[in-house]
Amino acid sequence: MSLQAAVPDGRRPSLAARARTNWGARSRQERLGLRLLLPVFGTVVVVATVPFILAFVRSLTANDGRFVGLENFQRALGNAQLVESVKQTAIYAGIVLPVEILLGLGLALLVHRTVRSPAIRAAIYVAAMIPIVIPQIAVGVVFRLVYAPDYGILNALLGDTGHDQILWLSSPPLAMLSVASVDVWQWTPFVYLIMFAGLQTVPTESVEAAQVDGASSWAQFRHIELSYLRPLLLLVLFFRIADVLRVFDHVYVLTGGGPGATTEFLSLYLYRVAFKFSDLGQASALAVVVMAGMTIFYSVITRFLPAERR
Amino acid sequence: MRYTRLLALLASVALLGGACQQGAPAGGKLTIAAVQGVEDAGLKALAPMYKEKFGVDIQIVESPYGDLFSKLVTGFQANDATFDLVMMDDPWMPKFGTDNSLADLGALGISKDPDVAQVVWDVGTWPPPRGPVPPSEVSKTPALLGVTIVGNVEMFMYRSDLTPTAPATYDDVLANAKAQNKADMAGYIIRGKATNPVVADFLPILWSFGGDVFDENWNVAFDNEKSLAAVKFLVEDLKAVAQADPASTDAGDRDRIMAIGQGYQSSVWPGEINTAVLDPASTTVAGKVGFIPIPAGPSGKGVGMMGNWMLGIPKASKNQQPAADFIKWMLQADTQKTYAQNNGIPSRTSVLKDASLTTANPYFPVLADALQAPPNWRPRTDQWNAVETILGTHLNAALAGQETAQDVVTKASAEIRTLMKGAGYPTQ
Amino acid sequence: MRRALARGLTAVVLMIATALFVFPLYYLVVTSLKTKAELFAAVPTLFPQAPTIQPYVSVLFDRGMTQLLVNSIVAGLSATALALVVAFAICYPITRLPLSRRVRVFVLNWSLSLRFLPPIAVVIPYFTIVQAAGLYNQLPAVIFVYALFNLPLSIWLLKGFLEEIPLEIEEAALTDGATRWQAFRRVVLPLSTPGILAAAIVIFAFDWAEFLFAFILTATRDAQTFPVGVQGLVTQFDIIWNDMAAGGVIAILLPLALMLIARRHVMTGLTFGVIREK
Repeated sequence: MSLQAAVPDGRRPSLAARARTNWGARSRQERLGLRLLLPVFGTVVVVATVPFILAFVRSLTANDGRFVGLENFQRALGNAQLVESVKQTAIYAGIVLPVEILLGLGLALLVHRTVRSPAIRAAIYVAAMIPIVIPQIAVGVVFRLVYAPDYGILNALLGDTGHDQILWLSSPPLAMLSVASVDVWQWTPFVYLIMFAGLQTVPTESVEAAQVDGASSWAQFRHIELSYLRPLLLLVLFFRIADVLRVFDHVYVLTGGGPGATTEFLSLYLYRVAFKFSDLGQASALAVVVMAGMTIFYSVITRFLPAERR
Repeated sequence: MRYTRLLALLASVALLGGACQQGAPAGGKLTIAAVQGVEDAGLKALAPMYKEKFGVDIQIVESPYGDLFSKLVTGFQANDATFDLVMMDDPWMPKFGTDNSLADLGALGISKDPDVAQVVWDVGTWPPPRGPVPPSEVSKTPALLGVTIVGNVEMFMYRSDLTPTAPATYDDVLANAKAQNKADMAGYIIRGKATNPVVADFLPILWSFGGDVFDENWNVAFDNEKSLAAVKFLVEDLKAVAQADPASTDAGDRDRIMAIGQGYQSSVWPGEINTAVLDPASTTVAGKVGFIPIPAGPSGKGVGMMGNWMLGIPKASKNQQPAADFIKWMLQADTQKTYAQNNGIPSRTSVLKDASLTTANPYFPVLADALQAPPNWRPRTDQWNAVETILGTHLNAALAGQETAQDVVTKASAEIRTLMKGAGYPTQ
Repeated sequence: MRRALARGLTAVVLMIATALFVFPLYYLVVTSLKTKAELFAAVPTLFPQAPTIQPYVSVLFDRGMTQLLVNSIVAGLSATALALVVAFAICYPITRLPLSRRVRVFVLNWSLSLRFLPPIAVVIPYFTIVQAAGLYNQLPAVIFVYALFNLPLSIWLLKGFLEEIPLEIEEAALTDGATRWQAFRRVVLPLSTPGILAAAIVIFAFDWAEFLFAFILTATRDAQTFPVGVQGLVTQFDIIWNDMAAGGVIAILLPLALMLIARRHVMTGLTFGVIREK
């Protein structure tokens, strides 16, 4: 596997450099490019932006179509349940992200250093893909069968039956952990695969040199491997944060947001306002707020990503 | 070249497949949106019979309870003509009535047969003939918008082999629960899953204690003393003698606990009894369960709650008259009898009291009396779904140990007040 | 000595990890083979007493979810084709024509930013649009939305694959007198076909798993997809966990098979083409 992300290709002249050499051809080719790109990309942007505009418009109107200004926003932002939902989402992210990254990194290091057989490595690689490709809904079903009281297999295995069963899905702290565990189950392999790919790119000479110098495993990791893994760690964080903040499907099946509002994460809260309360004005206002928040968040995060250079 | 052709082939298959999904044949076919589970068992049995008799193809589209409501709401907003008939839980009907989404069944030729309990006709009428009417609906003429096809009134079941005397009051219920509560036997099975399930289980208790959600003028009555006492009874007294995880228990789960002999008593919907509690394939308690109306509470009365599933016709449907004809056929006495023999819950009093059906359905006579009582219905407001979500979330949180009874009452009442005021009700 | 200890420890850790990951799936399959009576057992068992494929028959035929399978496949294929065609129209200028760097970066960044968007936030406007266009409960609406949501992924994947085709080959064709379109058809397209197929498989797998939009934009079996059907098996009153498990197993098998076929490209797909396998 090779990494093509942050490494600029210094050997071939870049497109821009080529362009500079022939002024006339550049204008013509560039115009052709724009003629091809703009209609299609422009249409796509328009089509994708229309819903944003609609949501914005809807957030400023009442159910019967009257313009009501920021009333929906006031209702949306003044709702204590929104604060609760954001808090729970943050807690969820705070549990899931460190666990997935540390676990994935740890397993990658373990396999990289101690498993030599390519057959086993390949087998692990394929096995790691399995949880990732399972539809979220199916994952919810799978873990419902594990955690549910009375018919779930976990309590049966623990010998826990009757009145004092552990309530994985209804006791507030456990419900959060159960839902988080599903995420960890599904995405730690993803982290593992990326970290493992990164470890493959570490030049063996540097590692061997360090070992000859008598460096401990930990020092070796900190000074050599980590520097190669840093851009990948950021990448993994980027994708996982994006997904964790949007989580919906498996939580919907597993707890439906309960008990109370313990697992009512942002997406589930939006769903409740839109479809249980049928308050589309407030839901649209929330959608606008969420989208604005995500845009800001995204701009901040991309500053840390390895830039695409050409 | 090969690849190009392969891609082209795949693309054309995809497009062809997409094209084949277009449009359903009109006329000679009726599409019913139904709730998945025990309630539409009878309907599914009748559909082929209707086709044989009249040549009309009945397509039943099932969805789980919560999904069905969302589906209907979005469908009505889209003025969707997909469904010719919709199954609605009676508390949903006010919203659809307020939104003018349903056709007038009286105008389509359906008349109110006296063999069916009056309360059944009342619950299908909008605006409701009694009880508080939402302010925006006061000026409308009452019209029949839904006809009951599952005449559910919530009842009570208990293990009659363990205690031959039926509990008469909720004090008896609690005493029996404490006596019967053991490691492998729950004294009382609470159906405590969030929103609709726990509220459906709780409202009869609330009313039997003399409490209520609203009063006659839409003021919130949930935080008065009687309501608080009822909430305490559920989340403190009953919870102490209940099964392990009331907050996750839904109807199917409680039926299962009852069926395998690990529960002593619980409230129950008639529709669940045959297909779950007394299902011959899996029950160990056949013949050991007694069915009674809801026990009396401190108010002196036991108040049953009705949860009728009604059939309505969307205004957007293009087959209104054929749909109405189907409803008329379903109401006929002979059809109702066949319906009852196929796990349906009939609404005709004569059918419920029919001796030939009582052996297989021991609760039918009890149900007939319960319908005549009459039972109470859930508040008729288009905001009911939101109110139920609020109540249900807090009750569920209390059952999970997150809130006290006082919390439930205070918070839920405050949220309901805000909600109703925002929706234009004169709520205080 | 230490090496052997380390290897032994690793083996133990890996076995535990594997067991933890595999067990829930094992139990899913086991449950999908149980009879309804077994579901009423007081304590759930690890092995079906009387294994039966009745739940699969029930899910596919009695409950009519075969139609949903077909819908999912059709929607997946169509959306993938649509997304790739549009992505190509965008990627070709970006990778092979001298557009300014700012344009390229803008296009790519815009695509990537959509990854942060919670679908629930745009579901209502999409519903409004679909309803206004008269496309409620029609499969084309689902196809269109899927294509749109997978466009960013398609763009990034194709960009990666196209970048690997050297510009010189195309230029050689152009200097030989071919038009740009001919050069595209005869040079670029054949060379990028493995990439297209890999991207197609990854995108299809994501379309297959999508739940929320299919759920909101459809109402009946004519247009619903398989994940919606699976979710519909989680009911209030019924004890049908065996059917639910069977639905889950079926939902897993197809993307699993696809991913195994395209396993070299899974990583590329999941990281938007940033990490590529050679």
